[in-house]
Amino acid sequence: MANSYLTSESKKLATWYFTFAAIIFGAQLLFGLVAAIQYVESSFLFEVLDFSVARMLHINALVVWMVFAMFGSVYWLLPDETGIETVGIGLGKLLFWIFAAAIVVVVLVYLFIQVGPANETSIWFIHEGREYIEAPRWADYGITVVALGFVANLYMTGMKGKQSGVVTVLMADMIAFAGLYLTGMFYTDNITIDQFWWWWVIHLWVEATWEVFVGSIAAYGLITMIGAHRKVVEMWLWIEVTMLFGSGILGIGHHYFWIGTPEYWWEIGALFSALEPLPLVAMFIHVLYDWGKMQGEQDAQGKEMSVITNKPAFTWFVLNAFGNFLGAGIWGFFHTLPQVNLYTHGTQFTSAHGHLAFFGAYATILVGMMYIGVQGKNGIKILNNTTSTIFATSMIVGGVLGMTVALTVAGYSDVIISRAQMGATWEGYFSAQTTTWLLQGMYWRLIMGAVTFIGFLFLVKDLLTIGKAANHVR
Amino acid sequence: MVQDVLVAQDILVDDFLTIFVSSTLVLVFGGFYVGIYTAVKVNMLKKWYMPLGYLFWALTAYCLYLMGSLMHVNDFTAKALIVAAIGLLLIPHAVYYMQDRVHEDNEH
Amino acid sequence: MAKKSVWSDNRFWQRTAAWITGFASVLLIWLTFDTSGQIVMGNDADLQNGVTKRVPGPTVINYKITYEMDAKRKHEVPVIGEKEMFFGKDDWNEEEAAALLHLGKLASQTKNCMNCHTLLGNGAYYAPDLTKAWLDPAWQETGPMQAMTGKSTKEEAMAEFLQNPSKYPTHARMMPNLGITADEAKGLVAFLKHMSSIDTNGFPRNFGKIQGAVNGK
Repeated sequence: MANSYLTSESKKLATWYFTFAAIIFGAQLLFGLVAAIQYVESSFLFEVLDFSVARMLHINALVVWMVFAMFGSVYWLLPDETGIETVGIGLGKLLFWIFAAAIVVVVLVYLFIQVGPANETSIWFIHEGREYIEAPRWADYGITVVALGFVANLYMTGMKGKQSGVVTVLMADMIAFAGLYLTGMFYTDNITIDQFWWWWVIHLWVEATWEVFVGSIAAYGLITMIGAHRKVVEMWLWIEVTMLFGSGILGIGHHYFWIGTPEYWWEIGALFSALEPLPLVAMFIHVLYDWGKMQGEQDAQGKEMSVITNKPAFTWFVLNAFGNFLGAGIWGFFHTLPQVNLYTHGTQFTSAHGHLAFFGAYATILVGMMYIGVQGKNGIKILNNTTSTIFATSMIVGGVLGMTVALTVAGYSDVIISRAQMGATWEGYFSAQTTTWLLQGMYWRLIMGAVTFIGFLFLVKDLLTIGKAANHVR
Repeated sequence: MVQDVLVAQDILVDDFLTIFVSSTLVLVFGGFYVGIYTAVKVNMLKKWYMPLGYLFWALTAYCLYLMGSLMHVNDFTAKALIVAAIGLLLIPHAVYYMQDRVHEDNEH
Repeated sequence: MAKKSVWSDNRFWQRTAAWITGFASVLLIWLTFDTSGQIVMGNDADLQNGVTKRVPGPTVINYKITYEMDAKRKHEVPVIGEKEMFFGKDDWNEEEAAALLHLGKLASQTKNCMNCHTLLGNGAYYAPDLTKAWLDPAWQETGPMQAMTGKSTKEEAMAEFLQNPSKYPTHARMMPNLGITADEAKGLVAFLKHMSSIDTNGFPRNFGKIQGAVNGK
């Protein structure tokens, strides 16, 4: 980290978080590729690195890199928003190393131990076998400590410095984010209760607190990158919080249709799910509206220049607004009502939605934050695109969209055959898996996954070298 | 045999594609409506585009209806869908009104 | 425009956000209390007295379970019928049955079932859904899976398969050997049987009911 223009310790720490996040992002894609190959050629690494292990690493790496990049984003924006250096930066650095070390240990155990005997020791030290939050119990406690330390730093800084609207929203959001993790930290023999609370973590993270986090980051991005008026942006942020939490918190009902919970969740889930795309539409208009407005003001002054001070990051922010609407909105909406979800629940459709929604809603904006980090670290006033930026962006976006379309086609076949006609039996499942549509869908998903990975390599190259390119305004 | 099982509530195999396409179009048309409305309001498009915007809203509402009826949604869900359609109709108006106010409050 | 509108007032929206979020959270917590009461596991007395629970007690393994269309609810529900042998006995007492289910649920997590299969429809999509696996026609007396393992009962056939999955391939995509012991396999089968008795509001639909031509293949 030599030759850094950064004077703020908080921003330096943010770059550590971004760096580690990017590494884990790479791991996520690699294990995703392994799993994608196994769909096409099932003997690949059979009983060496089975699908279950590859997939566990794929989705855990996803959650972890996003959490790292989210922490990094907050450490990055705190000095700008509060006007002071982050309080407890030493603690922040210590927690970073603890968190990173814990992740490495967890990954090594996943890779080399994989499964254990059916007892509590395995739950404590190997993994919990609960999708997305497989981390063993010891790591749960570790993550809680790290998250509380992070929240404490955020609160101390927010209360000591200038408490902007963005910081206020983040303070409220991050405490909920950390607190919700606790609801996933127990064992029960009752799988219905197990999954009920499991969704408190997964849904209330992904469809509520993370979305609000994205709203705050987008607000920060609009202020810093195109000079949008803080008051407008912050008022919007409150409206978004209203809409996101208003629809998202009870939107959890769409996960309670079929897990043994009462039938009234059908109505609650249907109503709030139908409302969930609305804030995503609103966020999308808001970004475009502010961009148009600021550019209009600039043009009115006769300056023939873009208002954007960080082209790659802004591209990713716009992709976020669009991707959130597309992945979470459209791909979420078409299978969310209980009448149709009865047939689509747990098919390749879910997988298509998962890929596009996580990418569109979160990966995009976090990659954008990484570019903001690079800009600051190299002391660049206006960061322009390089050839690698364009390759990275188009290949990653094209790859993920391609995977989504392939999985959607596969999912359609899955729904029609294994669900609508054969009622989800063993035979029905494999009948669907052997259709041409599904087989080809999986083949195309692998190809598009590879495209995404190559795009990622360009992204890494770009993040490492863009600061040295000559086409920026310094 | 098959007939016995396919009671009224089941979605017909042939209807699935229509349902998926129409529910996708709900948001696509909805997006066009919102986009055209916003673009006309910020003077990026001429005034006469506005009816086109409302036409897209009508298409959205039709797709919601089509999707809902093929899915055999219950009464409550039908009402929820109507609320969502009206919400979509109102949202750009509200958004524009507020944006405009805030910008005026700030710039003058 | 000198007048300030309430709609463009930051404080107004801040309060709205707080109230809406608070209201939604309180509603969710209230519903959680209500739901928690309904999904708590039943006990042996409920089963003997014919009290229907959304999640029956562990001794449900002593009974025959079927999945039948409920005319009033317009979807299928699990029906608990007469006594049925499970691993050679139909009088598992509450402690024994609970211990078996406990072992099975632990195994389902430690063996990472959920990262290939779906349970109650949640998990990965690399292998069949297990929600009603106990009722799958493939495992019944006339089904191909039971025949393949050479066992005479469904539970023994399932346990045998779980211990040596790659010995009984049904598809190029095989289940790997996860080191499941005989006891763990027994527990897992009890866990699957118990899961099939959970009232999932008709998911999956038409499970194992539809036969005949499949279009779209």
